[in-house]
Amino acid sequence: MGVGATHIDHIVISTNDSGTVAQTFADNLGIEIKRKMIRPGTSAQLAFAKLQEVVLEFAGPPQVQPGEEVKAKLWGMVLAVEDVDAAVAHLRELGYAVSDPRPAVQPGARIASVKDGTSGVPFGVIQYNAIPAEGS
Amino acid sequence: MLTKIHHVGVVVRSADDALKFYRDALGLPVTADRVIEDQGVRGVLLEIGNSEIELLEPTREDTGVARFLATRGEGMHHICFESDDVDAELEGARAKGIELIDQKPHLGLAGMICFLHPKANHGVLVEFATPLKEGH
Repeated sequence: MGVGATHIDHIVISTNDSGTVAQTFADNLGIEIKRKMIRPGTSAQLAFAKLQEVVLEFAGPPQVQPGEEVKAKLWGMVLAVEDVDAAVAHLRELGYAVSDPRPAVQPGARIASVKDGTSGVPFGVIQYNAIPAEGS
Repeated sequence: MLTKIHHVGVVVRSADDALKFYRDALGLPVTADRVIEDQGVRGVLLEIGNSEIELLEPTREDTGVARFLATRGEGMHHICFESDDVDAELEGARAKGIELIDQKPHLGLAGMICFLHPKANHGVLVEFATPLKEGH
């Protein structure tokens, strides 16, 4: 038994200039940046590309500070699961420290973070359609 | 043309320890597990949706993976994009003036592979792969 993971939902690339790094990936690799947004409650800009089922998320300030070198690194990943509450319960039963599920940036989704045992990878599990839309 | 994210590479101290989370806790099936002598790594691929997670344990100390582990510790190491023609991807990158690690594709765990220099993508190590028709 596992967590009921269906696919890698997104891979996070952390950077000090999300705009430039996303554009570099677009130029070098021919991938399309489909969306940009400011992370709610912060000044961080998120830029997104998608290849089939996996989203590449570029996260960081929208621009580098003057005189600073643009840097980026692979940071973490999130797996899509069928039931985030069951996934969290399963991992906790095995002794992993996992946050309580919380609303995600993605509308209707809930996400939880695995805090240890992931070999240095910031790691999450996310369930879509976990929060009923208003009026439904 | 890059069609999907083939895998994300994670450098680990011990693949056996990492498998406790990625295989046993998450429930992801192992699709390949072997030592690649010329690269000085044990590579383990785990299937997740249309992609894979590649655990990389150094088997020698004179390799890039071993140096990564020594300087940065465990964590995400590279991202691999699948193409149906890795030679064409490499030539396309060369034509764009992108700095390369590999001047020609070679056999790796994911098939015929090549790496771009991380400087080309602000520090993110990018791999291209064309899987072998017979699989891993």
